[in-house]
Amino acid sequence: MIQAEHLVKRYGPKTAVDDISFTIRPGQVTGFLGPNGAGKSTTMRMIVGLDRPSAGHVTVNGSRYAEHKAPLHEVGALLEAKSVHPGRSAYQHLRALGATHGIGAKRVEEVITLAGLEPVARKRVGGFSLGMGQRLGIAAALLGDPHTVMLDEPVNGLDPEGVKWVRTLVRHLASEGRTVFLSSHLMSEMALTADHVIVLGRGKIIADAPIQELIDRASHGAVTVRSPQADQLAGLLQQVGATVRSAEAGVLEVVGRTSEQVGEAAAGAGIVLHQLVTQQSSLEEAYLQLTADSVEYHSGPLDGPAQPTGADASPSGADAPLTGSTAR
Amino acid sequence: MTTTTATPTSTAGAARRTRSSGGVSFLRVVHSEWIKFRSIRSTPWTLGFTLLSMVGIAVLAAWGNSSFDEGQGAMSALDSVQILTAGWFIAEITVVVLAVLTVSGEYSTGMIRSSMTAVPRRVPVILAKALVVAVASAVTTLLALALAWLAVQPWADSLGLTLELDDPDVLRILLGTPLVLATIALLALAVGALLRHPAAALATVLGVLLVLENVLRLLPFTVVQKISVFMPASAGTRLLTAPDALAAANADPVTPDLSAWQGYGVLAIWVVALLTLALVLLRRRDV
Repeated sequence: MIQAEHLVKRYGPKTAVDDISFTIRPGQVTGFLGPNGAGKSTTMRMIVGLDRPSAGHVTVNGSRYAEHKAPLHEVGALLEAKSVHPGRSAYQHLRALGATHGIGAKRVEEVITLAGLEPVARKRVGGFSLGMGQRLGIAAALLGDPHTVMLDEPVNGLDPEGVKWVRTLVRHLASEGRTVFLSSHLMSEMALTADHVIVLGRGKIIADAPIQELIDRASHGAVTVRSPQADQLAGLLQQVGATVRSAEAGVLEVVGRTSEQVGEAAAGAGIVLHQLVTQQSSLEEAYLQLTADSVEYHSGPLDGPAQPTGADASPSGADAPLTGSTAR
Repeated sequence: MTTTTATPTSTAGAARRTRSSGGVSFLRVVHSEWIKFRSIRSTPWTLGFTLLSMVGIAVLAAWGNSSFDEGQGAMSALDSVQILTAGWFIAEITVVVLAVLTVSGEYSTGMIRSSMTAVPRRVPVILAKALVVAVASAVTTLLALALAWLAVQPWADSLGLTLELDDPDVLRILLGTPLVLATIALLALAVGALLRHPAAALATVLGVLLVLENVLRLLPFTVVQKISVFMPASAGTRLLTAPDALAAANADPVTPDLSAWQGYGVLAIWVVALLTLALVLLRRRDV
């Protein structure tokens, strides 16, 4: 359990984390989403006491992290991956960390096996790939068999097998009743692993909700219809007050009517339908919508005809490839 | 599809049993720092170089004296011990490098985040490092003196080298050498913890001990000369100075008098002050 109350972190005139409060509960995976520079890492550093909050406070399992007698048993944290002396072997790194808590060689060997590091455990960390560095960081986080596991961008640099491993691992840790808190900017990864999501933008919490609720909230509820008699159907639906747009010939996007209503209207008029689909936002879309105003570093527009114009400007039109659709 | 990684089922079970009793203690932090200290290559390199240079310079001093002072009779007990400790100024540099890197190396590599997450109270980490570095420096220097004594034996007879351990000045210089070097190591460690950047800390410590102190001593202003007596190395090395040289230094009417142990005391005050400042800032600053 991690509880933050009115947490603020300022670096000079810049406010990295701006008065945020949240509770991260055990037994589930909580995702921490946000664009670069949103304050995710700063928040995580404050949780384990590396950064001192400018105001407010954060507790882990009821007390400040530094007040625990055995901090590594409370929180296992992967912060930046290379929090390691490159001249030391993975084994000695873990031995040194464990020694502070009387954790011996046996447990060190266990986490090395768990993280799949056996072949490189005695090699100097300086030669590790990004993925191996991440695995070492995760091994270090699990060293104290902690109640709370906190991972900052754990899948960064991992190969597909490693990504799958982290996903299975964090689900497993949560199923054991542990508190799991992981940050990512990969929305697709969050959709697969997290139960609950906190979205941060420019140091403020934009959303703190179960992942499904977040997706639902961002849904615009449009219905896509494909019909050889599209024009006729469009006229019919507009007569009853629905908003109809057409991105391409034979395809309509209807707002203001459910797929059932559209289907019944078509049947009533004897119109043939080839496809009838309710658009559902992906987490990606939900996220982009939420953080649109709070992105620290905007990319400039790309040259060329990629700019959405006219009917294509509708969200589902522009983002069509990202949109998960539920066929009825 | 390959699955080379162990299934996460093994997180629990055996893991639960490893939950240790008691958590963090200073002794455990010292153990951790000892593992860190001996598991990087710079440690055997710097300590090995300390050992070699001290023994080597003692041999050079013995050989040099035997070729120049032929027929001048036996050396005094104090001359003998000064041959053994002749290489201390090189040990001073290597010990400073070791001490600075022990702390600032963690900042430059990012290791400090792991260290301070394991021991979030922070102060024990630096104190444990100080203990490990000071003991390692002292033991290495002591070992170097013993090896130097063995290495100068070929010239022992011709020079009349003796080791009179019941002479208080001989004992002071002999045991003072590891003590002063360990204390200078602590000074360097404190500066490393304050500045965090290895190059900045090394330049500061070596710049003050080897350059600034000598420049101050040469400047013809009485105020500066008075201050120079209280600079860390100038004061601390009084513990390694023979009685006649000490008397000569104190005979200067301008500069304040300091006995051998008073000089060491001044160095110790520098260390305590800098280390205290480093620990106060350590608690306040972000890692």
